[in-house]
Amino acid sequence: MNRTRWLYPLGMLLLLSAASSEALARIKLTTLPVRERVAVQLDYPSVALVEEERIVPLVKGVNQMDFSWANTRIDADTLVLRILPSTIEPVLNAKVLSVSYPPDENALIWSVAADASGAARVRISYVLGGLNKDFHYRAVADRDEATLDLAQYLRVNNNANEAYETAEFWAGVGERFDKPLGLNETKEVRLNRFASVPIRKTYSCDPVAFGYLDRAQDKLNVPMHYVIRNAGGMLGQEPLPAGKVRIFQDDGQGGAAFLGEDHGQFTPPDEEWELYLGLARDIAVRRTIDRSERQRIAGNLYRYDVTLKYEIENFKDTPVMLDIAESVRQIRDQVRGGVNRDPEWQLGDGTLRNPDLEKSDADKLLFHVELPARTADGPAQKQTHTLRLTLNNEW
Amino acid sequence: MKTNHQAWLLGLLGLLGWLLPLASPAGNIDLATVPKRNTVQLTIYNSEDLTLVRESRIVTFKKGVNPLQFSWANTLIDPSSVELRFREPSVGLAVLDTTFPHDRPQTLYWNVQSDANHEAIIEISYFTSGITWAADYLAVAHPDENALRLESFVRVKNLSGEDYENAQVRLVVGTINLVEKIAELARLPVGRLDELKREEYQGLRQKAARKMMAPAPAAMMSGATMVADAAEMEAPKEIVKAGLSEYFIYTIEGTETVPNGWAKRLRSFEADTVPVAVEYRYRPREYGEQLVRLYLLKNDTASKLGGTPLPDGVIRVFRTNGREGLSYLATQNLKYVPIGDKIELNLGADPAVIFELVRQKVYRDNLWFQLKSGHLYRKLGEDGFKLDLDSQVAGWDEHTVYRQKIRNNRDQPIHVQIRREYPGDIAFHSQLDPSLHDFQTVQFETDVQAGEKAGLDYEIIARMGYNQKQNRVELQPGAPGR
Repeated sequence: MNRTRWLYPLGMLLLLSAASSEALARIKLTTLPVRERVAVQLDYPSVALVEEERIVPLVKGVNQMDFSWANTRIDADTLVLRILPSTIEPVLNAKVLSVSYPPDENALIWSVAADASGAARVRISYVLGGLNKDFHYRAVADRDEATLDLAQYLRVNNNANEAYETAEFWAGVGERFDKPLGLNETKEVRLNRFASVPIRKTYSCDPVAFGYLDRAQDKLNVPMHYVIRNAGGMLGQEPLPAGKVRIFQDDGQGGAAFLGEDHGQFTPPDEEWELYLGLARDIAVRRTIDRSERQRIAGNLYRYDVTLKYEIENFKDTPVMLDIAESVRQIRDQVRGGVNRDPEWQLGDGTLRNPDLEKSDADKLLFHVELPARTADGPAQKQTHTLRLTLNNEW
Repeated sequence: MKTNHQAWLLGLLGLLGWLLPLASPAGNIDLATVPKRNTVQLTIYNSEDLTLVRESRIVTFKKGVNPLQFSWANTLIDPSSVELRFREPSVGLAVLDTTFPHDRPQTLYWNVQSDANHEAIIEISYFTSGITWAADYLAVAHPDENALRLESFVRVKNLSGEDYENAQVRLVVGTINLVEKIAELARLPVGRLDELKREEYQGLRQKAARKMMAPAPAAMMSGATMVADAAEMEAPKEIVKAGLSEYFIYTIEGTETVPNGWAKRLRSFEADTVPVAVEYRYRPREYGEQLVRLYLLKNDTASKLGGTPLPDGVIRVFRTNGREGLSYLATQNLKYVPIGDKIELNLGADPAVIFELVRQKVYRDNLWFQLKSGHLYRKLGEDGFKLDLDSQVAGWDEHTVYRQKIRNNRDQPIHVQIRREYPGDIAFHSQLDPSLHDFQTVQFETDVQAGEKAGLDYEIIARMGYNQKQNRVELQPGAPGR
C-alpha cells in the first residue's frame, strides 16, 4: 500500500501517502500535489462551497490520501472527494474505498484503490466558513432623472484563514470570474453594469408607513423614491440581490452629487426595485378626517360614513405624480376605536375613487394624483381631494 | 490494512489478559500467558449505545480445573454481560464458577473443568458501549434535476477504549423490535414492560440481542480474512444487507480495523440515476411559512433503490451546476425510510418562485341578533321583528376573498401544492378543485409554466359566533366573491 502526503503551509494539509498497511502509522513520506483549479461557489446564501482540483500520483493498489487542515473552518462532514475521468496518460481507474477519521485531528484519510500507477485528477469539495459575500450598487441618475446607470458589485470577504492564488468565483448572479484572494483580504468586483435604466421618480404619502411631518398641522411626510423595474434591456435576466445602494445624480459638470443611500431589497425579474431618496419638502399634503357619521342599522349594528380630505400643494416647477396610500383598518380604528375584525368597506363618490387595483387590496388603497407645476410667477396651486368610505357592519 | 499482531498489543494495553495457570487468584506473583484473539465480531446498534462483541480465542486446557482470568481495564464493557462458551469441542469443558475479585476491579476469573488435555476454541461475548455507527447520505442532482446520484455511507466510531482489529462489523438497523423481543422474552404484555426493574430490563435486552445475533457466519468464525488479489484493483467493500425479523443487518465485507478514537466511513450503496420529481409545497405546519422546493424520490427498485431501508442519517444535497462544479442545496436529517417508502428532500425556499397571498375583499352577511330579553335570536332582515337598541350581534358569516399569486421565474414549469388550515366552521368557496387533507385543512394544486404567473382565487366563509354550528371545512364549488 502506498501513501503520499500534501502539505499546505497556510493551514490546509492534504496528504497522499504510499504507506505500509498500518493505518496508525504516523511516520510518512509525502508528496504534495498542488491545486490545479479552485472554484468558490457563493450562490447559496451564507454558505461558501469550495472545490479544488488536484492531480494526485497514485500507485497500483491501495493509496492513502490524508486531507487535514488547521485554523480553517472546513465543515468536515461536507467533504466530498470525486475522482474525475482522467485525461492524463496512462489512464487509470481509481475508486474511493473508505474514509478514516483520526481522533482529535482536523483530518481525514481516504483509501483510494488504483488499477495502475499514474496520475489521477481529483476534485475535493467542502463547505468553508468565514468566506462571506455581499452585494452593493452604485446608481447615477442623469440630470433630468429619467434614467440611471446602475453598477452592481460583489464583495468577497476572506476570513477563512486560507489564501487562494487564483480561484474562480461565482455568486449566483453575473459572470464567473477568476481572481486571487489572499488571507484576510476583501475583493470587490463589478459584476454587472446596466446603462440608461429607465426610472420613475415617485412622491408618496402613507400615514401608516411614513407618518407625519407635522402631526399638529396634519402634514404628511412625502418620501421620494426612484423606482426601477427589473426588466428590459440587460435587466430582468436575473434577480437583483439585496444590497446597499449609493445614489448619485449627474451634476452637469462632469461630476456626480450624492443623493443618499438605501438598502435595496432582493428583487426578482419583473418586480420593482424601490430606492428611498429622502423626504420631499416642496410638496405639502395635509390630511384630515373631515367627516365621520354613524348610522344605526339594527340593534348594535352600525354603518359609518367617513370622508378624508387631502389639501395638496406642489411648490416645484415641474408637474409631479403623488401616490396616496391609506389603510382602511387604520381609518376605521381611528373613527370608532379598534376591534379585532377586518373592516368591510365601499368607496364612495369622493375625488379619489379609482384605486390602483394592482397595488390595492382588502385593506390598502393606493391612488395616483397628478399635481401641476406651480406657475412661473405665482404660488403653488392648492388641490383638494376627498376619499369617501362607507364602513359597513360594524359593532 | 491487515495486521495480525493484536495479542501482545492487547496485553500491553491491559485490556484483555489471560493468566494460565493461576493457582491462587489472590497471589502477588503471577505467571501469565496471553492467548491471542483469533476472530472478533462487532454487532453495533444505532438506536442505543450498545455493541455486542464476540471474540474467539484458542486456549490449551489441561485435564482438571483450569483458572482463567479476563480483565478489561479502561474500557466500557458491561461486566455482568461477559459470557464464556466453548465452541470446539463443545463437550468435555464446563465453567465451574465465576469470581469477581474485590481487590481487582474490571477483572473476573473462571474455573473451567476439562475432561482431557487439549486445545479448544472458546468464545467470549460481552456488551460494550462507546462504539456507535450512523448512516449518512450524499445526493448529487443531475443538472436538469430529473435524477440524482445517491450514495449512502456508514460511519463507525470507536470510543470504547479498546482497539478492535480485523473485526467483522455488523450494523443493526431498527429500533422498535428490540423492545418487542424483550417483551417476548419476558413473557409480559408490551404494556407492562415498564414494570420491569431496570436491571431486569438491561438483562433482557442483552439476552434478546444475544439471541438475535446468535447464528454467526461460518467464514467469520473460521478466522478467514479477506486478502485482496494484488493483480486486480481492490474494490470498495460490499456491505451485505439482510433482513432479520424486523431488523436489517448490514454486514461489512471482510474485516475492519477501527482503533480507539477513530471513525471510519464506508460506502453502503450507490445509485447513479435515481428518478426525482421536483415539487413546491406550502405546508406551514411542516415547512414553516414559506413555499419550499422539494426533491421527491422513492426507496424502491424502480428508482434503483429499495434494496434496504434507509437508516436515519444526515443527507447532504448538491446539484451538478453544469459548469464542472457543484452547487450546495441543503443538509437535512433523513428519517428512517422503509423499502418502498418515499423520500422528501427539502431544499428550502426558492428565490426564483414568488409566492404571495393577497386579501382582496372582506364582507359580512347572515347577521343574527340576540334579543335583549334573553335566549331569542333573530336574523337581520327578517320581517315582523323590531331589533331594538339592546339587541346584540350574536352571529355572522365573515367572507374573505383571497388571491394566491405565484410567479415562476425559473426556466422550467413547476408544480405547486398548497395546504391551508382553517379552524372553525368554514366554507371554502372556489373553482380550484380542492380536496380536504383533513377536516380543517384544504389542499389544492396548480402548475405554473416557466416565466408565467398564476392567480388562484378563493373565498373563505367563516361562520362566527351564533352561526358556528360545526368545526370543520366544507368545500363549496363556485366563483369566489359576490
